[in-house]
Parts: sequence; C-alpha cells; structure tokens
Amino acid sequence: MSSSRVRAGAAVGAAIALTLSACTSSPSPTATGTAGSGAADAAAPATFQTQHKGGDLKLLAKAAGGTLDPQVNYTLQYWQLYQAMYDGLLAFKKVNGQQSFTVVPDLAQALPTVSNGGKTYSFTLRKGVKFSNGQEVTVTDVAASFKRIFTVSSPTAGSFYSGIVGAAECVKTPATCDLSKGVVVDKGAGTVVINLIAPDPELKYKLSVPHASILPANSPPKDAGSTPIPTTGPYMIASYDPNTALTLVRNPSFTEWSHDAQPQGYSDTITESFGLTVEAAVTAVENGQADWVFDPPPADRLQEIGTKYANQAHINTLTAMWYLPMNHNLAPFDNVKARQAVNWAVDRNAVVKLYGGAKLAQPVCTFLPPGFPGHADDCQYTAGGGTTWTAPDLAKAKQLVQESGTAGMEVGIVTTDDEVNKSIGQYLQSLFTQLGWKATLKPISANIQFTYIQNTKNKVQISLSQWYQDYPAASDFLNVLTSCASFTPGSDSSINISGLCDKAHDATMQQALVTVRTDESAANAQWAAVDKQTMSDAVVAPLFTPKLIDFVSSRVGNYQFSKQFYMQVSQLWTK
Amino acid sequence: MVRFALARFGAAVFVLVSISVLVFLIFFATPGVDPAARIAGRNADQATLAQVQAEFGLDQPLPVRYALMMKHLFVDRDLTSFVNRGVLVIPQIVHAVPVTLSLVLGAAVLWMVVGVAMGTLAAAWRGRAADPLIVLVGVVGVSIPVYWLGEVVNLVTQSRLHDSVFSWVPPLGYVPLTQNPAQWALRLLFPWLTLAVLYAGIYARVLRSEMMGALDEDYVRTARAKGVSERRILIKHALRCSLIPIVSLFGLDFGALVGGSALLTEVVFGLPGVGRLTYTALQNLDLPVILGTVLYAAFFVVLSNALVDLVYAALDPRVRHV
Amino acid sequence: MTATADRKASEDSPAAPTPIPLAAVVTSPGPWGTALRQIRRNRSAMASLVVFFLILVVCLLAPFYASSIAHTDPFASNVAGTTVIGGQTVPVLAPSTTGLGLGVTPIGPTWDLTHYFLGSDGQGRDVMARLLYGGRNSLLIGFSAALLCCLLAGIIGVLAGYFGGVVDGVLSRLLDVVWAFPVYLLAISLSVVLLTSGVRIGPISIGAGSLWLPVLIIGIVYVPYVARPIRGQVMALKEKEFVAAAIGVGSSDLRIMRRDVVPNVAPTVVVFLPLMTALSMLTESALSFLSVGVQPPQASWGTIINDGLDLLYTRPAVTLAPGIAIALTAVVLNLFGDGVREALDPRARLRGAG
Repeated sequence: MSSSRVRAGAAVGAAIALTLSACTSSPSPTATGTAGSGAADAAAPATFQTQHKGGDLKLLAKAAGGTLDPQVNYTLQYWQLYQAMYDGLLAFKKVNGQQSFTVVPDLAQALPTVSNGGKTYSFTLRKGVKFSNGQEVTVTDVAASFKRIFTVSSPTAGSFYSGIVGAAECVKTPATCDLSKGVVVDKGAGTVVINLIAPDPELKYKLSVPHASILPANSPPKDAGSTPIPTTGPYMIASYDPNTALTLVRNPSFTEWSHDAQPQGYSDTITESFGLTVEAAVTAVENGQADWVFDPPPADRLQEIGTKYANQAHINTLTAMWYLPMNHNLAPFDNVKARQAVNWAVDRNAVVKLYGGAKLAQPVCTFLPPGFPGHADDCQYTAGGGTTWTAPDLAKAKQLVQESGTAGMEVGIVTTDDEVNKSIGQYLQSLFTQLGWKATLKPISANIQFTYIQNTKNKVQISLSQWYQDYPAASDFLNVLTSCASFTPGSDSSINISGLCDKAHDATMQQALVTVRTDESAANAQWAAVDKQTMSDAVVAPLFTPKLIDFVSSRVGNYQFSKQFYMQVSQLWTK
Repeated sequence: MVRFALARFGAAVFVLVSISVLVFLIFFATPGVDPAARIAGRNADQATLAQVQAEFGLDQPLPVRYALMMKHLFVDRDLTSFVNRGVLVIPQIVHAVPVTLSLVLGAAVLWMVVGVAMGTLAAAWRGRAADPLIVLVGVVGVSIPVYWLGEVVNLVTQSRLHDSVFSWVPPLGYVPLTQNPAQWALRLLFPWLTLAVLYAGIYARVLRSEMMGALDEDYVRTARAKGVSERRILIKHALRCSLIPIVSLFGLDFGALVGGSALLTEVVFGLPGVGRLTYTALQNLDLPVILGTVLYAAFFVVLSNALVDLVYAALDPRVRHV
Repeated sequence: MTATADRKASEDSPAAPTPIPLAAVVTSPGPWGTALRQIRRNRSAMASLVVFFLILVVCLLAPFYASSIAHTDPFASNVAGTTVIGGQTVPVLAPSTTGLGLGVTPIGPTWDLTHYFLGSDGQGRDVMARLLYGGRNSLLIGFSAALLCCLLAGIIGVLAGYFGGVVDGVLSRLLDVVWAFPVYLLAISLSVVLLTSGVRIGPISIGAGSLWLPVLIIGIVYVPYVARPIRGQVMALKEKEFVAAAIGVGSSDLRIMRRDVVPNVAPTVVVFLPLMTALSMLTESALSFLSVGVQPPQASWGTIINDGLDLLYTRPAVTLAPGIAIALTAVVLNLFGDGVREALDPRARLRGAG
C-alpha cells in the first residue's frame, strides 16, 4: 500500500474489538490499554441484516487514488474499496479485529492442499460465481489473471509472485510471458494448481491481496486506467472521474457465497467524492452532509472530534511504523555511535505529541510493531532501562556524538512537506542541532519524497519515512526493509533506505524464513532476535506505531475494522 | 497591419513552444522526479521498474521524450496523467474550465462595477475627505494577501459564526450551474467577493489616476469653459477616455485569471478549476498535466496580450514596429 | 539641461505620457529635488513612511525581544516545554484531556509581552518572537527581490530599447516567455527544483533552503512587469533630438546610455521600487503559503501564516497576526509608492497578482 496517503491508524486489539458493545461517549480504558475507541465497534453480525439494506453511502477523499486496475493500483485508498468489489482465490477474513488477519477461501472452494514439500498449491474453483458482466468465473479466467499480473507489470509482480514457475522470465519480458507450468488449470475438473520454484509460507497472503484478483480473461493486457474491469464482489464501478467522484453500484450478478470471504454489502450505492480539503470534509461529516473521510482529520479538529463527536470516532492501532532510516554508507551515520545517538536522543513522546497526542500513537523502540508476529517487547534506548520506551537520554546521546567524532558535521533531514511530517522534521532539526550537528531540514513534495530518499544518488543522510504492512508477516518488515535484496544503489526503487547490506544479517533472516514453514513460534522467536540485533546496530530509529481515526457521520452503523484493509466500506449501513 | 499581426502570431507560437520546453526541462532537472518508480509502485522489482520506464518512454533521450509528449498532446490528443493512470489530460482541463470561468466571470462583474464606481467617485470628489478614504480602501484591498483573506473568510463563515449569522453558507466546493443555479451562486459568493476585493482595489486606483489625468486635459477645460456640467464632463469625457486603458488592463487580467492565475482562490475555497488542477499537478509532479495546464494558461496570456496589442496597434500606428 | 531633457523624455514615452507639472519644473533645482519636495508635502506618503520605519525598527529589534524580553529561542522546538501562566505551570502544547483525549493544543495568546504574547505555534515556539524575526525576513526578501527585479529590468529594458533589432528581439521574446508563464506556476516549478538541489551560477552558490532562493525566484518572475515600460520609454527617448544628436556626433553607445538614457529612466525605476517591494512581499507570503518559500525553521510572515493554518480553528491568532502585519506593511508601502509616483511619474502602472 502506498504509504504516502496513509497516516493515522489504530488498532483495537482483538480482545476489545470483539467484546465492546455499547456506545460510550468517554474513552473507556481497555484491558490491554492500547487504545480507547469512542464509538464502540460491534462484532460483525454473522449473517446479512436485511433490515439495514439500502441507502447511499457518501465518502470523501482529498484526491483520487489513481488507476482503477486492481492488479496495478497500490494505494490503501482503493485497496479498501476493492474489498467490496474484487476477489482472489483466497481472501483475508472480512471481520472486525485480529481475526481479519486470517486467510479464508474466497473464489476457491477451500484452502489449498499443499504438497511437494510446500511447492505445489492445489485449489478447486467455486462454481456458479459470476462477474458483473454476467459471465461465469472459470479456471481460464484464473490462469489469465495470473498471467496478467506480469503483462501489466504489477508493482508486486517481481516481489510477490516471481516465485511461481516461469514467472521470473515473465517479470523481465512480459510480452512473452508463459506461466503454463506455473499455473496449471483443468477446465473439466475446475482445478487450479500453482507450482513454485521454492516453498513460500507467505503465498496465502500474497494470493489474498488485490493484485491477485481474478478478472475476466479478456481484460485488457495493459493498465486499464480509468476504465472499470468487471467485478465479482457485491459492488461494481458505475463511473469514475478522478477530479470529481468514483461511484459504486450493486453488482447485479452477485449472491453471497461466503459471509467471511465476501459478505453482501448494505448500501445501494457508494460514492467517493474527491476535491474537498480535509477541513471542509470533516465539517461536512459533522454536518451530516457526508458519511466518512478517507484522509486523517487535521490536527486542529481532533479535539472537537474527540469531544463533540466522540460517538462518531473510531480509533484503531495499525500494524505500521514511523521511523528514521539512517544511511549506512554516508557520514555521520556510517558510524554506529551516531545512529545510536539518534535512537537515544529522540523524545518519542514529543514526536507522538506532534502526531496528534498519546491517544493516536504509541512510542516504540523495536522494528516490528507491537501485536505483529515476531514482536517481543524490548527497548535498548530508553533512559533508566526497561522493555518499553519511557524517556530519552540526551546526555548519553551527546556523549555518543562526541565519541563518534561526527560533531559539527552537516546533517540533512528529508521529510515530506505536509503538516505532520514537516513538524516532526522541525523537531528533529532542533534536536540534532542540540546534539552538536549542523542540521538542516529539507521538506519536499510528498509525492517524490518516498522515491527520493531511496535513491543513493540523492545522498540522503537521514529521512522520516513510514512502513505499512502488506500482510502480517515479520519478513514484510525486516526482510523487505533491511536485506541486501532490497538495496539497489542508484535506483529509485531501493526500499532498504538505510542501505544496510550485511551477509550475516541476511543469513539469520533466511533461517527464520525456513523455520516458519514448520514451526511458527520458533520462527517468531528468531525474528525477535533479528529485531534485537537490528536495533543494537541502530539500523533505523523507530518512532511510534500510528493509530487511525475513522470519523463517520452520525447515521452510520455497523463499523467494522479489518487490520488488513481497515474500515470495511461495504459493511457500513445508513439505515 | 497584416504583417504586424503575423509577426505577433509568430512570436506567440515561439513563446508557447519555449514555455513547453522550459516546463519539460525544469521537470526533468528536478532530482527524484522520475515518475517510473512511483508508477511502478512501492518496493517494485528492478525488472518491473525497467518495464515501466520502457512503457512510458522514460528510457528515451530527452528530445525524443519531448517530441513523444507533444505528439500525444496535440496530434493524438491522448496524453495521460503519470499519477492517475489512464486519465486523459485534455478532458481534465476541459472539465475544469467552467469552474474557473464561473469564478472569474462573477468576480470580474463585481470588481468592474465596484472598481469603476470607486475610481470615478474618488476622481469626482478629488480634494474632499472622501477621496483619500476611497484611495485607502483601494490600497487595503490590494495589500491583503488573497489566500489569507480567503482563509479568514472560511474561518468566519464555516466555523466561528457558522451557527449564527452565516448558517446559510453552504460547505466549500463547486456545484455546476446546470445542476443547481442557486447553489452555484451561493457557493461561489465568497470566492467572488474575495477575488474581487483585490482587483477592485487595483482598478479603482488605476481609474482614479487616469481620470485625474483626463480632467487636466485641454478638451475637458474647453468643455468646462463652454459651460458643460461637471457631472457630464466626468461621465461623458473623463470616464469614457479613461476606460480604454482599463479595458486593456481588464483584457490582460481576465486572460491570466481564466488561464489559472486564480490558483490561490481556487485552492483556498476548494474549487476544482484550472488553477487547482495545476496546483495538484505540481504537488504530484504530474508532468503531463502540468504541461497541459501551463500551456493552456500561457495560451490565454499570449492571446489576451496579442489582442490588446492589436487593438493598440490599430489605434496607434507608432507601436507597430515591434 | 537635464531638467528639460527629462521633461521631453517623459512627454511622449508610451509608458509615462504625462509630464511633470510645468510649474514644478520651472521653479525647481532638478527633477529629484522637485519630487522630494512634493513627497514631503504629501501627508499620506509621509505618514506611511513613518509607519513603515516603525515596523522596520520593531522587526530589527527581534533578537533583542527574543533574548531580553521573551527569553526564548524562536527557532528551537519546545514540544515538551512548559510555561507559567497565573502562577500555574502549564505545558506549552497541551494534550486534550476531555472526551476521547484526541489532539494537542498550543497555548493561546497570554497578552503578556514577557512570554507567549501571541501564544505558541505547533512546535511550542513563541509566535510573537517569530513574528518579529519573520518580519525581518519578509522585508528583506521583499526589498531585495524588488531591487533585483528593478535592476535586471532596468538593464534589459535599456539594452532592448536602445539597441533594438536582434538584441531587442531576443530580449523581448525572453520577456514574453517569462510574462506568459503564470507567476505562481513559474515560481512553484522553480522552487521545486531549487529547493531540493540549490542553485549554482558560476562562483555564486545558493544552497537549498537559503533565503536568497525566494529572492531570486521573485526577482526574476516580475522582471517583465518593469522591463516592458522601461523598454518603451527608451525607444521613445531614442527618437528625441538630443539623443539623435549625440548619436550623430559619434558619441559611444556607453556614453549615450550613461549620460542621456539612464538618468531619464531612473525615475521610472524608482517609482516601481516601493510598489514592487510590496508586491514581492505579498508574493513571498503566497509562496510560503504553498510551502515553497522560506524554509523551516526560518520564519517569514508567509510561513507563520502557513504554520498557523494548521491551527486556524483552535488558535487563529497565529494566522491572523502575520496576515495583519503583511497587509499593514503592504498598505504603507503602496501609499508611499503612490506618493513617489505622483511626484515622479504620475502614470506608471503596476499590475497585481491574484
């Protein structure tokens, strides 16, 4: 998911999510103490509630999210909407809370049978499911859809799906893509067999994201752009203009086949309108003119939302991190002491304040966010010790800067130019000056910052960045962000922003990836150890785990939050 | 005259071509601006990145890239955005034009009426207490930052007094005239007023000084000597002559505003016009859209300049040697 | 001699067709002296000048105010800081304690000059101190950009007008391009490039984030507004007998330009200066509003407005104060500029930007 569009998020832990029932206007301290949610999030009803069917749901977003093509688009904004439109063979369970990380069969009849040492996945396609154009979904469509991932150069074609037999060539030369050995279908039996070159314990997740959606076999072999592709879910796209609105209407061919995988939707139409400023959008929701705002509410409206409209605010913790990648190949951060100094010095509470307060973010000092597989409470950089972060130690940080011999050096901090990022950047600039560096702040357009900080040619020393999970696996954080494979000098796509490439570090991560096939908890322990080592080397400085506020209108009911794809749009009812 | 018009046309084409080249070069001189990685998506494989580069022609040398883009814009008219893939640039601009026109036309009517009235009154009451007062009001109008005024207006009408005096003010945004004329006007009311404050100030000042000059001219003295009434002199002689520079100034301003110079007003009031389209495109560094909107804007500026020049040339032959 | 030359020059030039009132010319020692006397008699111009100097002095006292009165560092974040109000220690940035406890609100105006007179911004910094520092930068940028613009415009206008032909063709097309490139678009495009990489012209290097970047950008975008009337004026001058005579007797171009052309266009440039300063200041604030002007932690009135917009609904003072400061300064500059114009060149026009 594109990180630039996402900001706040929040996670009600599973326990709270499943037990809260009544609406409260004041925050109730929860059992885990992680989050207070204004409006209570009811457990998802087990079946469709016919009495709530109907109505028009009006959503707002500052700007459109780009192409409509589910195999190309990589923004949270549209991934959230795709949940009500497209289906893969598998899907993340569409329920509230921790259960939403569970993978369930969607267009497949059941979870796959895995054989051949984890290299072969066999599915049977569900019968009778139709696309919104009336055609039945067949195994031919499945085979074509997998091939299409490569012909349209899907963003994750190389990173997620290149393990399929024949896919590596497809990534390089999409025009001659041949997946006939990788995705084998049997029309008569209605089966699909996926062959991998090596076992991939994360395949089930990768088959559950929109890039693996099953589309009609005759979909255009290039990015469909603003032309809608027929859907399988309860809604289809009626119209799209990136300057005004995206409108979804009911898919006439849809009947519910699995309430867990793809529940029937409540509203008759769902419109996401674009163009209002977030301030104006929040006002519109307050006045009941709209039902929900995609973008996080501006800082000066938070208090109002938290008091006057507390019943309409839903806060959930995200599995994500805000962090400072430090360039291992450039002074001063090629020196471990300088990197450790940053970790000691940053007052996470101050940064949390700039983000919107303690109710909207939680200070961290581990790489893996709390509640994520492989996370173990540990904090190597907190005044007074302990396993969670309590306070910075400025004296120690200053001493480390002196010892590293980097005092007086120029340090450029690159952030995006929006309100929150820029203000955290200003705080860091002020802090680094105190530590003894000559710090300058370079706020640049949010749209280029993410690729700018990745390219080694731009010689970025330290930056403020965010990482939001693609799927719930430790490797999606540690392996993606710190392995040699993710570091390509001179390329705009080099997600290992710190530029760390350490053979031993890579080896321990590979070890954990092997262990996870057989023993998940042993693997988690290994990941925790990798996390600890990564933090002693101070590869990055983690800041906090963000939470997300969903601000809905007073008429909206049945708010459900999936930890994977956030608020479930199709499940909101307005009647 | 024909030669002059042709020369003017040649110069206009030159200006438009230079601007497109300039935008193009500035864009590709910006570090980190290569859209390939953004199009390819987060953590894209290097091979995928190369695919995208090839698909969008970003691996071609700069002149080829420029030629391709111009071909898509003018010959095939299918230039698409780098950010909203598959979205054509030209229809986006076409959709934004009515919004900008609505804003600018309404504001223009306001500022012309108010500006001309203020300028004329100031000239008529020259030497009396009202003159410096009108001048001061005009100067204040010119001196307030437009976007700041807009934000303050929003603060008052949308929040501070929204529960009482301004409860009738609709939310920000645009409603097409064809859809609901009353809402169209209501939503544009404050943007009109905000934009008009600035220009009314400018026009009042210019008109006042033009009329002061005109009132000193010989023909006015002659008229006065003949016993023509002061009011008649003011309206028939001074105002009429002074309106020529005002109209040419209006031509230039109107052209620039229709071209997207009302950017700040559109951004502050959330009006999806050409200015805001340009602003979003710049923020997203969406080159095809930037190129489209800047060329569109430059076209109007060049057009209004050329028209004003031609009118002047028709009136005053000395100007013709360019 | 110079007096008459000036008069003749301005009589027929398209940009400045009205002569300086005859009576003033006849009795005065020279055009500058006349103008000076006229301005001294112009009450609104003189009052404006006084107000302007007051603003200037107050802004120049910024370091003194910050260090000796408010005891604050307006460029350092004070996110975790506290201050004392009415005997109670309160956090500068107070987290909400009611309802869901969302959001953090900076303290509002204390109306006490010794601390947080106008309240705090989102970083916990004293807005009053930043307002004064910001004023220094806004005035500096406004004036420098206007100076740069008038200088460039003067040079281009004189060269194009005097030499005509190819020189004029090239320079005029250049002006056309800058003119037709919408001001904010040009400024934003240039800023985006320059802010990431800075600029290097020969030995002069301006780092990204330097104050001189907005000066350079604003100085360039307004050149055509000033250069065009000057070019026209010089072209008209060239037709005059005294210049024609000078060319006839074989005076060098440089000498003619220095002796006959420059003294005649100088008043026009001077007329533009205060008006351009006001315009540049407004443009700087607009650029900062679009986050491409002065870069943090530096302050200018525009950046303070921009910071304040994030707090508009809870702490409007942060936005209102710098906005009023800009408007007031622009008003006095414009009024003074009008005075100068009336004294030197009653018909010079200036376009606005919106």
